[in-house]
Amino acid sequence: MKILVTVKEVATVEDEFEIEGTEIADQYLGADLNEWDDYAVEEAVQLQEAGVADEVVTVTIGPEDCEQTIRQALAKGADRAVRVWDDSLEGVDLLDVNAKTEILSAVVEEEDPDLILTGVQAGDDSFGATGVSLAEEVGYQWGAVVNHLEHEFDGDVASVRRELEGGVEELTDIELPAALTIQTGINEPRYASLRGIRQAQRKELDVKNLADLDVDESAVDSDLELTDMYEPESESDVTVWEGSADDTAAELGELLRDKGVAP
Amino acid sequence: MDFALSAEQQQIRDMVSEFVDEEIVPVADEIDHEDEFPQDLVDEMADLGLMGMPFPEEYGGAGLDYHSYAIGLEEISRGSGGLGTVVAAHTSLAGNMLYEFGDDAQLEEYLTPLAAGEDVGAFALSEAGAGSDVPAMETMAEKDGDEYVINGGKLWISNGSVADTVTVFAKTDPEAGNKGISSFVVRPEEDDGFIVENTEEKLGDKGCPTAELRFDDLRIPEDRLLGAEGDGFVQALKTLNGGRITIAARSIGIARAAFDEARDYAGEREQFGQPIGEFQSIKHKLADMDTKIQAARMLMHKAADKKIRGENFIKDSAQAKLYASEISREVANEGIQIHGGYGYTKDFPAERFYRDAKLNEIYEGTSEVLRNTIGDQLLDN
Repeated sequence: MKILVTVKEVATVEDEFEIEGTEIADQYLGADLNEWDDYAVEEAVQLQEAGVADEVVTVTIGPEDCEQTIRQALAKGADRAVRVWDDSLEGVDLLDVNAKTEILSAVVEEEDPDLILTGVQAGDDSFGATGVSLAEEVGYQWGAVVNHLEHEFDGDVASVRRELEGGVEELTDIELPAALTIQTGINEPRYASLRGIRQAQRKELDVKNLADLDVDESAVDSDLELTDMYEPESESDVTVWEGSADDTAAELGELLRDKGVAP
Repeated sequence: MDFALSAEQQQIRDMVSEFVDEEIVPVADEIDHEDEFPQDLVDEMADLGLMGMPFPEEYGGAGLDYHSYAIGLEEISRGSGGLGTVVAAHTSLAGNMLYEFGDDAQLEEYLTPLAAGEDVGAFALSEAGAGSDVPAMETMAEKDGDEYVINGGKLWISNGSVADTVTVFAKTDPEAGNKGISSFVVRPEEDDGFIVENTEEKLGDKGCPTAELRFDDLRIPEDRLLGAEGDGFVQALKTLNGGRITIAARSIGIARAAFDEARDYAGEREQFGQPIGEFQSIKHKLADMDTKIQAARMLMHKAADKKIRGENFIKDSAQAKLYASEISREVANEGIQIHGGYGYTKDFPAERFYRDAKLNEIYEGTSEVLRNTIGDQLLDN
């Protein structure tokens, strides 16, 4: 089985920051491997160690700067990486789901994986749609918000547990080829070993532009426009009651009902 | 001249730093308080390759260059000074004795499990009456057929009570002064007559057991001799030269931890209506602390660079260790001062950094002996 894992370098933000226009100012930003993708990589590497997967390939849309982040995934055990970048992507503020879907689906056609693992979402722009959108585009089955994957595959069927709202979970059998969006907590991502880091520097990292993938530059155009970014104002308020619990519990109950916290 | 880390070195630093922040920092106080050898952490570190950083992969190591090894040790020590000593004594001293002076069979049998972190190593040189004055040692190794019989004792042996492999120095020719010293591989588990007398109660460096050892007719086969009879003194000096780079690293790691805490505290603590870090007296302290750390780091990497190039680095490693060890104590001292009364309590880690830092000026060559080493190098050349 061949597994393709989408890996994104996301912007990380310091606790204190300032917004300039529709962006957080550069000096408050760092970069790291997307947290959800870290779990997806770990799941793929575990499948390889269990003898289920033969090859784990990562795919990233991003400039050369993000290669160190890609190598983190290689250091943890992915076999090789594909990085897609193009001059036409250089000035794009917001790469929307449609554009990512079109680019990644071209990579899926080339790689022809049996299983695609993506993070549920990216920590910075949080569309939470790329995995499912990609599956739809390439005609794969999908499972979203997967928090357990059986490592024993029954033929071409992946048995997954999905996290629903309100603490409900469901078990689903999904026929391969499929895309699964991986939730944090599905495993415990490893630290890369020193040997892994050294080997990663020598692993294949293939760079492709849109023409290499037969993707038209118009794919990058977006109907979405980021119009504003702001920090929502939060209010805090404290009420203190003096006296014993017997006297004040009822008052607390009333307040909670007033605020809509208790029914 | 390039001061930038390579991509690989950056990744190594980032990985070790993340491991330290998530796995070591949260338990550092507990290690300091309990003073127990942190076996679980050592096992985790072994899985990542951190117990055999500079040794080739064919001997179970991670194959890092000496810069990367120093960076790794600096990060580990930033989390816990005791753990820094565990790794430094295991790797730079015991490991390097085997790697530099062991034959093929010894590399295979003793270095490989050490570098993989399955075994823990210790280096037994000092004695009650032989600290800086190495040739004053009294431990004897007498040849008896195809065996050596060792009698004597060692003091201040880091990892000494938990080690699986100890490189022991003993006199094979008591009349030959420093040319009569030889080194041996001793295996506490399998060799009768290896006795752990005691472990020291220390000011700091908790978690790394510092042991007093006694050898009572300890018999070992002759193939445990490292190199040739009489080589021991030179082997010890060469090993300590390399070891000093990692004590510089431990010093820098502790100083960084002290600086980070002090800077954070100076930003949060308010007096007279403003964070104390905005007062010039505190700001200048922070400036001096960081300047010292940066200077120490450059000396460390310069010594590592010369070692990698195969040049004479005796003066450089002595200078790196001397300077880094002294500034680690100074920076940790200012860290307490910036914390004020809180810094003197066990509620904050500032006092731990100070206790851990002090040792840097003593072991693997005291500041006094290192000044002699540096002076000799200056006058000889």
